Amino acid sequence: MDSLRFAPVSRRAFLRAGALALVSLGLDPLFLDRAAFAREPAAPGRRRVLVCLFQRGAVDGLSMIVPHGDPLYYRERPRIAIPADQALDLDGHFGLHPALSGLLPMWRQGALAPVLAVGSPDLTRSHFDAQDYMESGTPGVKSTADGWLNRCAQHAAEHKNTVFQSVAFGPQLPRILAGSAPALAITDLRAFGIRAGGPGVRDKLTRAFEQLYNESATGIVASSAAEGFQAVQTLQRIQPAEYRPENGAEYPKGKLGSSLMQIAQLIKADIGLEQAFADAGGWDTHIAQGAGEGQLATRLRELGDSLEAFALDLGDRMRDVVVLTMSEFGRTVAENGSIGTDHGHATAMFVMGGGVRGGRVAGQWPGLDPAQQFQGRDLAVTTDFRDLFGEILVRHAGASDLTAVFPGHDASPDRFPGVMTA
Amino acid sequence: MRTMDSAAGTALTSADCARIVLNRLAYGPRPGDVDRVVSMGVMRWVNQQLDPRRDRARATLESQFRIQKLHREDLARRFVAEREARRQAKADSMAAANDPAVREFRELEGEFQQLAAARAVMADNQLEEVLSDFWINHFNVFLGKGADRFLLPSYVEETIRPRVLGRFEDLLIATAESPAMMVYLDNTLSVAKGAIPPQLARAEMRSLRWYSPRADSAIARIRARIPSGINENYARELFELHTLGVDGGYTQTDVQEAARILTGWGIDPPERGAGFTFRDWAHDDGEKHVLGVRFRAGRGRGEGDELLRMLARHPATMLHVTTQLCQRFIGDDPPAATVEAGVLAWKHSHGSVREVVRAIVVTPEFWATAGARAKFKTPLEFVVSSIRAVGGTVGTDPGPAHAIARLGEPLYQQPVPTGYVETSMGWANSAALFERMNVAVQLAAGRLPGVDMDLETLVPISDDPDSMIDRVDRALLSGEMSPHAREVIRQQVEGLPPQQARALAVGLGLGGPDFQQQ
Repeated sequence: MDSLRFAPVSRRAFLRAGALALVSLGLDPLFLDRAAFAREPAAPGRRRVLVCLFQRGAVDGLSMIVPHGDPLYYRERPRIAIPADQALDLDGHFGLHPALSGLLPMWRQGALAPVLAVGSPDLTRSHFDAQDYMESGTPGVKSTADGWLNRCAQHAAEHKNTVFQSVAFGPQLPRILAGSAPALAITDLRAFGIRAGGPGVRDKLTRAFEQLYNESATGIVASSAAEGFQAVQTLQRIQPAEYRPENGAEYPKGKLGSSLMQIAQLIKADIGLEQAFADAGGWDTHIAQGAGEGQLATRLRELGDSLEAFALDLGDRMRDVVVLTMSEFGRTVAENGSIGTDHGHATAMFVMGGGVRGGRVAGQWPGLDPAQQFQGRDLAVTTDFRDLFGEILVRHAGASDLTAVFPGHDASPDRFPGVMTA
Repeated sequence: MRTMDSAAGTALTSADCARIVLNRLAYGPRPGDVDRVVSMGVMRWVNQQLDPRRDRARATLESQFRIQKLHREDLARRFVAEREARRQAKADSMAAANDPAVREFRELEGEFQQLAAARAVMADNQLEEVLSDFWINHFNVFLGKGADRFLLPSYVEETIRPRVLGRFEDLLIATAESPAMMVYLDNTLSVAKGAIPPQLARAEMRSLRWYSPRADSAIARIRARIPSGINENYARELFELHTLGVDGGYTQTDVQEAARILTGWGIDPPERGAGFTFRDWAHDDGEKHVLGVRFRAGRGRGEGDELLRMLARHPATMLHVTTQLCQRFIGDDPPAATVEAGVLAWKHSHGSVREVVRAIVVTPEFWATAGARAKFKTPLEFVVSSIRAVGGTVGTDPGPAHAIARLGEPLYQQPVPTGYVETSMGWANSAALFERMNVAVQLAAGRLPGVDMDLETLVPISDDPDSMIDRVDRALLSGEMSPHAREVIRQQVEGLPPQQARALAVGLGLGGPDFQQQ
């Protein structure tokens, strides 16, 4: 589909032809809408949304985006490589893990860009440090107080801040959203707020606690409480318990599916959401990670199916949304002694949604030859994660000053991996 | 009575001092605790906590818990039965959930989590409980990982708890050789490159004598299952989290060399009780170098002991662990002088936790920052101190453990080796704050499951709202309630029947901002 951008046919003609092609593939025509993703500003009252998914524990990028055309891959991983006939081929050399079949519709519409060999310039193989750096946006600098997603919100002057501008799903506010711009941590929209007592008592208690925290609390406790009380008021209006996914979308059971469903709900409610964040754990596959099936496949299936449901549920609203997956580092090229992989360096990431220059594998492939490996054991980093994130911020989220978001990094568009239409 | 002067020059009463130690070295005061500590002498109480005698209250509590009577072997048998029941039920999750073996195991897990919460509420040797939580978190093991589902109780009871006030080195070695840690961080799978287990060697010998295709496929099966090299997981966390700290000056090569030293440290299979075993065949016999120190070849398990002692005595370890202790006892950014005093005591006492804590407590800075209520309570600290403040008692009912889990800190269920964070950044967010308010209101209404209490002994029923609020203030906030909070509570209780008014005042007191700090 990439070449179609240069084809001398009208957009409309392409769409019709594309539609027929997709229908003949047995794909849900609902996706067709998204083939027309354009980078127009969001419709009045709507906002561009960036959804970040953090695969905590360091996902094995070589199993997500499989270099099935490379014999070295099979030599290094005799027991855990994804067989070439199982990988979902993308371009003859790379393929998706078979459990990620949920991403294929987006790929076929050119709305999914897998990015190879992304990572940090910092050498740490500590989960904790590497996550910290990926969230602070300042590899190697521990003293950074806030997260890059929050800094981006701080500098976005376009919209007035609303309490639902940035929402993280989970019991704790992640490092990436720490900072002076308002951000909420929510486990479940339906259970957010004071639940004790009947409706009358609930309101009375809410007001009383609000007064207590307004006056007495200081610092992070005060701001978190104030944002919480505002959010409760908004949620009363949008009735989260009544939400039903659209277009037949079925989210997988589990935390990730539930988080994405609630993100979809917030997007459709038009209450000012611009940044959403969710965690997906379980990627630290030191032992028995499996190949086409197994431990890692189960987690990938949940990821792919959740994203498929999310895109389906959002329907044409997906044109305002970009989903970015990230993970703190990748894993060793060779399998270890326990049929798993140890902490490595570069990993792979996905960018999906409106304005994504998809349907092609992005990022430069560093090769698996032992001489090309980082420290003789890991996939080398060819894209600094800040260049990938930066491109999305500039071309999707309207960021104008990347030096404020990624201090100390020379953010030049020359280094953008080209995942977004400019 | 003025007994101690803070560095800032403001005099503290002995009641102030008692509250400081009860909030920091204990899980907050119970009704009457401040007076008791004052009358026995604050430092005498501290010394008693540092050299604890038998804790009768705790022993009475523990005798109610079935899990306390089960040994590792008993739990191992139940684990094997539970696993078998699940295997037979296969995909049928209902059948699995209803199986008696599965159900019993789940109940025991719940009881085990509640035991930690209940001890924190009920024990008299409070410092032991605070430090147990600290070390269990420092040497975190995840209850959900394989054999750790039955290994964790013996890890807590036999590995950690007997050593919480002892020497750091002993604690480190005990955790290193604990089956729970070896499973959690995969050391049991780490073997020297090319090592051949005896069963495989025997099978290969046999096949040399009598060729048979069956024997060949058996060998292939064994080969596919056995680990074939080192696994760095434990070695890395040993440096980063347990000892030196991430800035402690080690390299990737040090991690790999340490992993080689620790090859052979493993456990028996669950069917045989899962005890520690050193497997000669898996140990890497070569020479190794860690942090510039040469480890002579071929000394088996002794190399590992030597490595652990070296790390335990390293200056970076002293600083890293003492700083964490100070964060626990004081707040996110503990005063440098307190950390220095702790490190000095570590050097003099060869790593005695008891002496390090004592040194931290006697620095003027420990008392100076007191007024600031510098530390935002973790969920465990908040729930336990709330129950203690209202004079509640708890037993085996897992209600309190569930409340702690709802606030974001399910006990023993942190999957990542860092453990739970100690600082406010990790816990102060809007959803968690609402959960705290919910728990406070539930508790004050006498509706927090698993808690027995009688507000009447704490705040007798009264028609006079002002005197009632005074009592609540003294009981929960040491009489430091702000005029604004008093005003808000006063308005809220206006016109309510006395009993309801009291519950509301207590709920607002516990759920309000002041009680979140210690």
